[in-house]
Amino acid sequence: MNVRFNSMIKVLGVAAALAFASNASAQSAGQITAKFGLNQLTPKVESGDISAPALPGTKADVDRDMQPVLILAYGITDNISTEVALGTPYKHKILGAGAIAGTGVLGTVEALPPTVFLQYRFFQPSAAFRPFVGIGATYAYFMKERGSGKMTAITNPGSSVPTTFSIDNKFTYTAQVGVAMNLSEKWFADVTVNKSRLRTDVSFSTGQTQFMKLDPVAVVVAVGYKF
Amino acid sequence: MRHTKLALAVLTAAVLTACGGGTSPKGGDQTTAIKFSNQVSFGDSLSDVGTYRVGAVAAAGGGKFTINGDSTAKNEDLNGKIWLDFMAAQLKLPTPCAAQTGLQGNAALGFSVPVTNNANCFNYAQGGSRVTNPIGPGNAATGSPIGEMTVPMATQIANHLAKVNGKFTGTELVTVLSGGNDVLMQLAAVTQAGTAAGAQAFAQLLATRLAAGATNPQAAAQAIGQAIAIENARVGKTDQSVVTAAVTAAAQQPGNQAVAQQSVWGPIVAGAQTEGAAAGNAAAVTYASTNATRMVTELGTAGAQMAALVRNELVAKGAKYVVVANLPDVASTPAAKSRPAAIQTLVAAMVNAFNSQLKAGLGADDARIMYTDLYSVSNDQVKNPGPYGLTNTSAPACAPNALGTTSLICTANNTVAGDVSRYMFADEIHPTPFENDLIARYVLKDMAVKGWL
Repeated sequence: MNVRFNSMIKVLGVAAALAFASNASAQSAGQITAKFGLNQLTPKVESGDISAPALPGTKADVDRDMQPVLILAYGITDNISTEVALGTPYKHKILGAGAIAGTGVLGTVEALPPTVFLQYRFFQPSAAFRPFVGIGATYAYFMKERGSGKMTAITNPGSSVPTTFSIDNKFTYTAQVGVAMNLSEKWFADVTVNKSRLRTDVSFSTGQTQFMKLDPVAVVVAVGYKF
Repeated sequence: MRHTKLALAVLTAAVLTACGGGTSPKGGDQTTAIKFSNQVSFGDSLSDVGTYRVGAVAAAGGGKFTINGDSTAKNEDLNGKIWLDFMAAQLKLPTPCAAQTGLQGNAALGFSVPVTNNANCFNYAQGGSRVTNPIGPGNAATGSPIGEMTVPMATQIANHLAKVNGKFTGTELVTVLSGGNDVLMQLAAVTQAGTAAGAQAFAQLLATRLAAGATNPQAAAQAIGQAIAIENARVGKTDQSVVTAAVTAAAQQPGNQAVAQQSVWGPIVAGAQTEGAAAGNAAAVTYASTNATRMVTELGTAGAQMAALVRNELVAKGAKYVVVANLPDVASTPAAKSRPAAIQTLVAAMVNAFNSQLKAGLGADDARIMYTDLYSVSNDQVKNPGPYGLTNTSAPACAPNALGTTSLICTANNTVAGDVSRYMFADEIHPTPFENDLIARYVLKDMAVKGWL
């Protein structure tokens, strides 16, 4: 898992290096932009039941998290661009739901969803507002899964070995819509909404499993600069 | 550009730091919101951690009302634990031990052991205990050779209060679970009525039919009836010895020698047994329906008494964390399922009366009282065993043993054939360690919701 994560960092690093190496000068073909903003990642959770032995209808919910992001884009043509984001992991609380609603935080997990987008930007590069749509390849990477006393209590009470869990990493896709507003010749602001399809499985150290439909929605508000 | 580079460096550093912290799954923080000092339990066999683990019971490897002993080498679910063992371990509290041990039964069978109070043990629950009535199943006063003390919950609580100068510290996790033996004693009365009537009908039918071939059937029937009564009164008689006495007496009657042949008496006995049993069942049902209102009312009273104990003797005396478990679904146990439908209905009504009065008596929600609904979960488990991981919710895991069918001396060595590790019931009424594990999870789940975990 570490190996995969490290390779992902390298890929992003190379992408960033390539981006900075080029020397474009206008928001058009060959141009590079960098924007910095906040991304709120909200999983739209539909949880399966934890497999036996468990109280029927034992489900989970995952709360949202907000983190800063740095997003780099490269204009392939005046209207087509590609984009990658760099950022810190999203830390999500996992809460009891369904038959165990009200039990509170049962665990935490950190997620990194690196995505490479291919975008289409409407209108001319100089237009005040440029809506855009995109489609991206996403690798949903989960790490630092942490259980709790509560999780152990409802899966293996009294065990000297705390219950742990891991979430399967997934390749998936993300759809994007957004609009950029040119503030000046060099500066712009934009709002982006990304919706990923993400279904994964959780495995517990007790041998139990749980299907989770996460389908996160990311809302990014950013300010950028054109190089 | 410079700013961007800085931001990029910061973000990359953050990512790498996050990575370097160890990305593999871990158990996380296992501590609880409330740090309890110890676990104090009152109740019956469902909470008993070894009151009777003495004498012949201990020698047989028993002591709890479940599949006893650590047989985890055989199967990890055969750990001999009850729900309070799982709870205490989860809460990092001392393993619960019996506040009183001993037996007051038949000395010749190894069931007479002096009663000892253990000052440093706080599990007062005893098999056979009721809410306030001192005589429960297994008590010597019921004719049981085991001689369980069956100290009722009211006295258990009084004994604890006497030990701690009348006051809880407020840091104990207190658990109460009772009422099952109040139901079982009512059922025992029903059984007794049925057994007596069944035996009488059997004796009458047997005497009359065995006498039918005699020169004077009426006199013969009287003589056979007398022989049956004499044998019935003898200590150590069996069903078979009663039959032998009856047939012997019948064959001695003038003109009745033919009855000595098994081809003649065999069918007569079988018929009398069948009809006698039917008469017994009918009498039990009649007794149950005649006394239903009284029985249900008495269970309601017991439920109200338990609620009063929780309020007046636990909470009012300083307990701040009291787990009140309601009575599980006795009507779904093998003990009830083996009875006629009318009696199962009566059992369900008794349990309902107990739980309704218990809940009502506890009053409005109280931060110090956590009512946990074992009735609903046990009822659901029987109907819907799959998600719970239960493989059998109708048959006992324990095979009959020297004490009959009780799990008190059941171990992994005297269960029925096959894998019983995830059966719901150890005997006709008590849960297996696996079912106890499920109960512990349920109670802990409720504690988490209550903010105690």
